Amino acid sequence: MADMDVGALRPPLIAGHKTLAQVTEDVCAPMDGRPTALWWIGLAISVLALSLGVAAVWYMFVTGIGTWGLNRTVGWALAITNFVFWIGIGHAGTLISAILFLLRQRWRTSVNRAAEAMTIFAVICAAIFPVIHMGRAWLAYWMFPVPNMRGSLWVNFLSPLMWDVFAISTYFTISLVFWYVGLIPDLATVRDRIRGNGPRKRLFSFFSLGWSGSARTWHHYEAVYLLLAALGTPLVISVHSIVSMDFATSLIPGWHTTIFPPYFVAGAIFSGMAMVLTLMLVARKTMRLEDYITLRHVDVMTKFVLFTGSLVGLAYGTEFFIAFYSGNPYEQFAYTNRAFGPFGWAFAIMVICNVVLPQLFWSKRVRTNLAVVFVISLCVNVGMWFERFVIIVTSLHRDYLPSSWADYTPTMIEYATLIGSFGLFFTCFLLFCRFLPMIAIGEVKSVVAHDARSTGGPR
Amino acid sequence: MTGRIVTIILSVGLALGATLLATRASAIRLTGIHQGYEPVQPIAFSHRLHAGDLQVPCLYCHSGAGSSRYAGIPAVTTCMNCHRFVTTTFGAVRAEDDLARQENRKPRLLISPELQKLYDALGIDPVSGLPAPDKTPSPIAWVKVHNVPAFTYFDHRGHVTAGVPCQQCHGPVETMERVRQVETLSMGWCVNCHRQVNRTGVGGKRVNASIDCVTCHY
Amino acid sequence: MPTQNRKRYWKSREERDGAPDPAATDREFFDTPAVTGAAYTTRRGFLTAAGFGLAGAALSSCSRAPVVQAIPYLVQPEEVTPGRPYFYASTCGGCSAGCGLIVRNRDGRPVKLEGNPDHPASRGGLCAAGQASILGLYDSQRLTAPMRDGQRASWADVDGAIRTTLDDIRTQGGAVRFLTGTVTSPTVRSLIGAFLKPFPNARHVAYDALSTSALLDACEQTHGARVLPRLRFDRAEVIVSFDADFLGTWISPVEYTVGYSAGRTLRGDPPRLSYHAQFESRMSLTGGRADWRIALAPAEIGIVIGHLAERLARMADMPLAPGALPPAPVPAARLDELADRLWRARGRSLVVCASQDTSLQVLCNAMNHAVGAYGTTIDVERPSYQRAGNDRDLEALRDELSAGGVAALFIAGVNPVYDLPDGDGLAQALRTVPLVISFADHVDETSSVARYVCPDRHFLECWSDTEAVAGVVSLTQPVIRPLGESRQLIESLAVWSGAPMSACDLVRAHWTQQIYPRRRTDAPFRDFWERAVHDGVVEVTPDAPAVRPFGEAARGVMVPEAPPLPDGDFALVLYPTVGMLDGRHAHNPWLHELPDPTTKVTWDNYASFSPEAAGRIGIADGDVVRLESSDGLTGATKVIELSAHLQPGQHDRVVAVALGYGRMGTDRFAKVGPQWIEGRTTVGTNGLIGVSAAGFRTLANGVLRDTGRLVRVTKTGRTRPLAATQSHHMIAVPAALAPAGGARRPIVEETTLAAYVKDPTAGSLGHAEPTADLWPPDHPYTGHRWAMVVDLNACTGCAACVIGCQVENNVPVVGRDEVRRHREMHWIRIDRYYADGDDGGVDVIHQPMLCQHCEHASCEVVCPVLATVHSSEGLNQQIYNRCVGTRYCANNCPYKVRRFNWFDYPREDRLQNLVLNPDVVVRSRGVMEKCSMCIQRIQNARIEAARLGQPLGPNAVETACQQSCPARAITFGDANDPESPVSQARTSPRYFRVLAELNVKPAVGYLRLVRHRPEDGGERRHG
Repeated sequence: MADMDVGALRPPLIAGHKTLAQVTEDVCAPMDGRPTALWWIGLAISVLALSLGVAAVWYMFVTGIGTWGLNRTVGWALAITNFVFWIGIGHAGTLISAILFLLRQRWRTSVNRAAEAMTIFAVICAAIFPVIHMGRAWLAYWMFPVPNMRGSLWVNFLSPLMWDVFAISTYFTISLVFWYVGLIPDLATVRDRIRGNGPRKRLFSFFSLGWSGSARTWHHYEAVYLLLAALGTPLVISVHSIVSMDFATSLIPGWHTTIFPPYFVAGAIFSGMAMVLTLMLVARKTMRLEDYITLRHVDVMTKFVLFTGSLVGLAYGTEFFIAFYSGNPYEQFAYTNRAFGPFGWAFAIMVICNVVLPQLFWSKRVRTNLAVVFVISLCVNVGMWFERFVIIVTSLHRDYLPSSWADYTPTMIEYATLIGSFGLFFTCFLLFCRFLPMIAIGEVKSVVAHDARSTGGPR
Repeated sequence: MTGRIVTIILSVGLALGATLLATRASAIRLTGIHQGYEPVQPIAFSHRLHAGDLQVPCLYCHSGAGSSRYAGIPAVTTCMNCHRFVTTTFGAVRAEDDLARQENRKPRLLISPELQKLYDALGIDPVSGLPAPDKTPSPIAWVKVHNVPAFTYFDHRGHVTAGVPCQQCHGPVETMERVRQVETLSMGWCVNCHRQVNRTGVGGKRVNASIDCVTCHY
Repeated sequence: MPTQNRKRYWKSREERDGAPDPAATDREFFDTPAVTGAAYTTRRGFLTAAGFGLAGAALSSCSRAPVVQAIPYLVQPEEVTPGRPYFYASTCGGCSAGCGLIVRNRDGRPVKLEGNPDHPASRGGLCAAGQASILGLYDSQRLTAPMRDGQRASWADVDGAIRTTLDDIRTQGGAVRFLTGTVTSPTVRSLIGAFLKPFPNARHVAYDALSTSALLDACEQTHGARVLPRLRFDRAEVIVSFDADFLGTWISPVEYTVGYSAGRTLRGDPPRLSYHAQFESRMSLTGGRADWRIALAPAEIGIVIGHLAERLARMADMPLAPGALPPAPVPAARLDELADRLWRARGRSLVVCASQDTSLQVLCNAMNHAVGAYGTTIDVERPSYQRAGNDRDLEALRDELSAGGVAALFIAGVNPVYDLPDGDGLAQALRTVPLVISFADHVDETSSVARYVCPDRHFLECWSDTEAVAGVVSLTQPVIRPLGESRQLIESLAVWSGAPMSACDLVRAHWTQQIYPRRRTDAPFRDFWERAVHDGVVEVTPDAPAVRPFGEAARGVMVPEAPPLPDGDFALVLYPTVGMLDGRHAHNPWLHELPDPTTKVTWDNYASFSPEAAGRIGIADGDVVRLESSDGLTGATKVIELSAHLQPGQHDRVVAVALGYGRMGTDRFAKVGPQWIEGRTTVGTNGLIGVSAAGFRTLANGVLRDTGRLVRVTKTGRTRPLAATQSHHMIAVPAALAPAGGARRPIVEETTLAAYVKDPTAGSLGHAEPTADLWPPDHPYTGHRWAMVVDLNACTGCAACVIGCQVENNVPVVGRDEVRRHREMHWIRIDRYYADGDDGGVDVIHQPMLCQHCEHASCEVVCPVLATVHSSEGLNQQIYNRCVGTRYCANNCPYKVRRFNWFDYPREDRLQNLVLNPDVVVRSRGVMEKCSMCIQRIQNARIEAARLGQPLGPNAVETACQQSCPARAITFGDANDPESPVSQARTSPRYFRVLAELNVKPAVGYLRLVRHRPEDGGERRHG
């Protein structure tokens, strides 16, 4: 992992010798005053994309799943790709907020708030797809063990889809609570800054649950926060492992692989980190948070990307080796077909973006060149989306019986749905930047207050 | 102050809602379940009279139950087997006879308005028993009481063969003036009965009531 | 006949499943209203009942039950209990083969056609077209009333007008011509004769759109009677076929398949198998089954016939000199071997030929005579009447018409304007004929130019009879009250000749006078008739024309000189498809969507090229090519444009195009599938299904030819992808991606007779099926255990099972675009693979693939809502109304046999909905469906057995696919009953299970394919 021990010559986490008051000012700046034109443009585009997606989904509901490019052989494609992609994005948030907290990684303070928000929005985006991909989505509630008059006809706990239902709902709940608890002190800060007794003030006072900022409150708060972190940590591992079992427990060559759980978790954190990078780089530019999200943060996160990217690369290699080593012709074909078959181009994109490009981060010059970092982080996001696409589609479209082989081309309805999910995500995120402190003021202060030589976490 | 007002309003509303819910709760049931359904029929046919007092066996009219998926509703000609002769209540016939004797004329043939509908359906003249030129035969549109969803295949044959009494599913029809759906006819109700008879048997006879899905759904 | 009763319909719940609303049906059944209060389809029923559950729950607190009316009979017919199926024996009118039928009736309407096992020719088999022909009964575009000058008219007017005109013609002695297809009905034949008698100048002209005229002419030359000899494939041990697709479309495929499969079942010790050699230009269904298949150009076939005839003549020292022949395009050694085979199997060998060259047919007769086929494998004493067309008469009639010498023309059962090369010219000629009466039941190319159209009835509404084979007379009885005011041909004739009579009486009368005297029993006529009506068929003494033994006729017969094939040109081969035949089934969506057994293409005809040829002229699958050909006689140039299809095993210089497409009225299918934003129409650029290739036929010198035209092929640069259900055609994976040694997938096992004799398990690919199991068996199967075995050696791939399943299980039609998107809905499909055969030829493998009902079903574990679970009797149950449509089961199915309802498939045609099987739910949008092993039949058989207090016999349940298989390739039954046929089959050394190595333990197994080849022929392809 990144800097475990605290060196003497370590530059401060927060640049520009901020006073505590300045911190509050800087972070809250975007929240008071009119939003910038940039923000408006961003929101407009996002809402447009969102409404496009809503229209597409509505049309699909009225007409039928047939409006997607699926067929008797390829029963899952873009929808499930998006689902896995978004769930993956979410992971970085939980990782940063929970695991790094437990590991006393104090640099996380600048990014954890945004990362957690990202997690929640990503999980919302993800959760939509398993529902709409159903042939009869209006019966989705049958996925829950509800009492009924069908002679105690219940759900099938053997089905990985069932596990998904539980995993994702748990994940969402924990993430939400964790994020909210983290927000409380800052909500209070904002509350206190608001003059007058307008509705905004009342809102913030309500949600800050009468936070007083006394030592006792802080004590309780940190106890709770620590517990939640401990609760959240296993989820980082479990959720994507379970998602990966949607594929690993099947018997389709290319899906039926024991390596999937760790491979998916690594991939998830990989894509999540990349997404955090992307968002943070934009945020620090547009919201003038350069002092809080410093090159050091970027540097640490790029190292994360490099590490997890290499893990993913290793996983790719292992898959191919196992296929070759297994001597199972179906397995072997699945992978040759994946690399050189009709969807070879997708495979190429995936390898270049996920394995090759991140390797550039070995060089310090690349890590410090924000433009390059931004581009690479974008590429990684693209690559990780394609990874899911490749795993799902190339495995399905040519399985056991050659007679049933089929191709797959997405319809415009599917593309629109994909765009819509991004629209939803960015709409939520932009609103978040505007109306909530996107940096954990309280925690950052804890880092600013002491100089870099002190040890111990934000306590 | 305001807070208290809010509290009062809320609590009152809650109380009202609860009482309303409680009153309607009896009527709340899952969709497609019509327990207690008792539609008005085109002819005020009394199962109490026929199946109860007169002891007409169910399969006399619903003859399909033994041999077909459907119990079936008797053809008008089946009704006519009796009602060719029985055209109104005994009391009315008596009264008419007395009246006729007093006025010393031949007693008129009385036909109760309900039974008249049978003759109309067949399009025959009750007195002559011949097709009436002015009437066109048209079947009687009874209202189906016991409906199972279209994706469920219930087969009377199997149940009648196994010796399941009709009342098991249709309730005490012989006591009903107008037939009413007594049971829920829900899947759970079916399955539980199947489970039970596999243990207890039907009328002392061991049965094998399958609880495979395809027993009813295909 | 219950359908003769004026019955009132008890309206069953089942009939509501897609049944018409009263408004619609009242019009269709005159006084037999099928009335109901709630006429919503099951699918809608689904959504209302199952869907929107929570909302529903809330609402239903104030909801009331839907008012469903139950309307009983007014007068209960004795023999009818509502809801019980009734079966009537009849005769199929799908083509002129006249197979025996068992019609399944429910509540007064036929819902399924199946083969009649008692029929001596078809023996319970029924082809795809025959089974699908039930849909024609419920065709909403059938003519329901006579037409005069294209206007709807009343019978009274039409009859009056026609009779007066006919009287004039009779007095003036004008020429009257009665043009029909082959009339297999003795009654109809004699009544036409009687009808024409009063006219001084009248003739009955019969022709077959798929002509075999030369075959009959040859028989006339060699045996003195113009008959179609009956081919006894069941007695043949060596079969040589020249371009005859006798298992697919040639004359009487079901009868031939039944016989052929008898010879293809391993029997005796050492096991024997008939040997089949096929010489053909295109890849036909029959060619795919051949042990030795050689692709030849049409002209070369004659040469090979000549060479073979020469050899056999030498062996039998017959005076036969087929002229100076060019060298044979086949290795002489192989020809010697073949001749030797034929000779050694004297009396058990058979040569068939579909050529329209009389001289070649005569040579084949000579060969058959040489090998003593007559009297054994060929029966001329008891010939077939399935083909009687005479192209010479047809040609004469055409000339007569163009000369304008015909006063009245009756056209029944044929569509000459479509069938014949110069259709437009003929149409012009018909317009000049004073009186043209068509009996067509649709507005088609011919009836649209006819003065009067007097629609004949669908054969399920008819009283008629059929003598397919001399001495085998079968009856056709009506199984439903006629829909519409159509009138049977013979009734019309009776009216016009002044003696109106019902068809029933006419048939009875003819039987009293003609059939009954030929009886073999001494039963009184009434019993004789009753029995015939009950059995559907009766055997009487044949009254075939006398034949003389094969004489010297063949002496001096020469193989005709074939014009050389100019470079760059292709020899055109026109052929019928299993579904469309000559185009008579063009209004049947089932048959349009039926994948062609060989090419797997639906909803189109196309120009087939060999891959080499395609490479040479640089075209790929789906490229639109222009076929251009100038008529040798008139010099007129004909052009059609079609998508190209690459067909392995086809001759390099041949382009093959299917007949029967581009029929008028097929524009009705433009919107047959679901309509959505990216959906495409089903019809082609011409607004029809496919393109008519009839223009390329030639009618000259007394024969109607489909082959031999030279065509020039040019690319148009456009492409129109074909809708094929299979996109990868080889059993081997693409070489570029093939793992070492894993190129050929071990899915189909095959071996050779030689290897099989040595070791019955030869050819086993040794699927490593795990024996040890971590878990205790979770399915005890204490009662029945349903299982199926498919004999790949018997299966010809004829696709009868596909249609049988579609009819039985209400499988929807999805249209061309959906098929192109690989969303066809068929529950049973026939996988067709190509493999390298011997002599660099191509082997074809047909493998029927349906739900394998696995014991360890991979679909069952992954369904989150338990919509697919295992039954206690080994069935993999799919519960539609529990399914939420995650499609995980389909993804996880290694056989890809699950079908998803991507849309609400159109079921607006309420009349057509009457064909729906009331015992099977119509699935809604968004649910998965698949083969249920005809569970409705199993349940019914079980309950009936219980009702009658009998045990469920080993053959009590027959699945739809099994029942109508002409080759008897499918065995279904209780694997727990050691006596049952299926248990026997499962112990066969040829038994194997597909993908057994996955340990899914399928309940469906297969019997290995055995080719009659030298050992290496098979061993080479193993491992």
